[in-house]
Amino acid sequence: MPQASPQDYSEDYAADRAAIEDLMARYLFALDYNDMETFATMFTQDAAFDFARGRVEGLDNIIETVKAFKERIGAVYVDEDGKPAILRHVLAHCAIRIESDEAWTRAQWFEMANDGPGKSLKMGTFGIYEDRLRKVDGRWLFTERRILNDFLDGRHSGPTNPVRDMDDDAAAREGHAA
Amino acid sequence: MTSYDRDRAEIADLMSRYLFAMDYNDYDAYADCFTQDGVLDYAAGVTRGREAIREEARVFKANVARLFTDSQGRPAKLRHLVHQKAIRIEGDRAWHTGMWWEMTNGGPEGSLATPSFGTYQDELERVDGRWLFSRRRINNEFLEGRETGSVNPVSALEPQG
Repeated sequence: MPQASPQDYSEDYAADRAAIEDLMARYLFALDYNDMETFATMFTQDAAFDFARGRVEGLDNIIETVKAFKERIGAVYVDEDGKPAILRHVLAHCAIRIESDEAWTRAQWFEMANDGPGKSLKMGTFGIYEDRLRKVDGRWLFTERRILNDFLDGRHSGPTNPVRDMDDDAAAREGHAA
Repeated sequence: MTSYDRDRAEIADLMSRYLFAMDYNDYDAYADCFTQDGVLDYAAGVTRGREAIREEARVFKANVARLFTDSQGRPAKLRHLVHQKAIRIEGDRAWHTGMWWEMTNGGPEGSLATPSFGTYQDELERVDGRWLFSRRRINNEFLEGRETGSVNPVSALEPQG
């Protein structure tokens, strides 16, 4: 009997999924509104952040790197007056796998800004998040956020179904725990 | 008896898995989102049964690879997105009306293009404890004859008797 998903969809799954979706929403507001103080509360101390500029490990390094990245983005993404563009990252559907205090996501994102003609809306790029999370003292935190961008060479998602990779990873961890 | 929250979470996950399967050419995972006798109703017509849907997904992806190309003529990266979802659940049956759109890297000089949007009108069944699509109708406001229509599509969520 084929299965659409190996996840055990318990009542706890719904509560944990809601908390993780909330974290992912708060992450984007913190990032787009330069709230690095809040941003820093979303990762474990030993977290990894893997994005266009490479992979950094440890919360302090992540914050330092993201701050520098935000400054650079402000110089690259500009409106037609040369001012930093209003850049917004948008999250769409998320496949979320949860096994007790560990979780994984595969989530579709895109970005848009006011850098079109006449400061109009211009679509930028899209890609996916590949996350690992851990529940620490009742709160879900990122232990790894991998940001893939389908418009950047070397950072493309796929070609295999990312959800299949997520389920394989979850199965391997379960096997390890057992 | 499971809660609405729990069932809705599973259905939201199913819809996400469905889109990743389609956009990354995973035909088996795509077909597994449907019941054995599930129905897929989209631009190319009506396909009945999980096995037929598996094959139809291959045909669909081969067709869009020709239809959507990037600025160098290669098949474009095509991504479908689902946003707001109205979901009614009664026992082992559910109904969904949702908003979808699509984006590609097929714009000028490799930029992002947004070809179309539409709605999903779905019926789901719980089979052996798993929610699956028993019918997915994909409406596209940019295809003549496939538009959602002027009536609020959420009315399809009302009990049909």
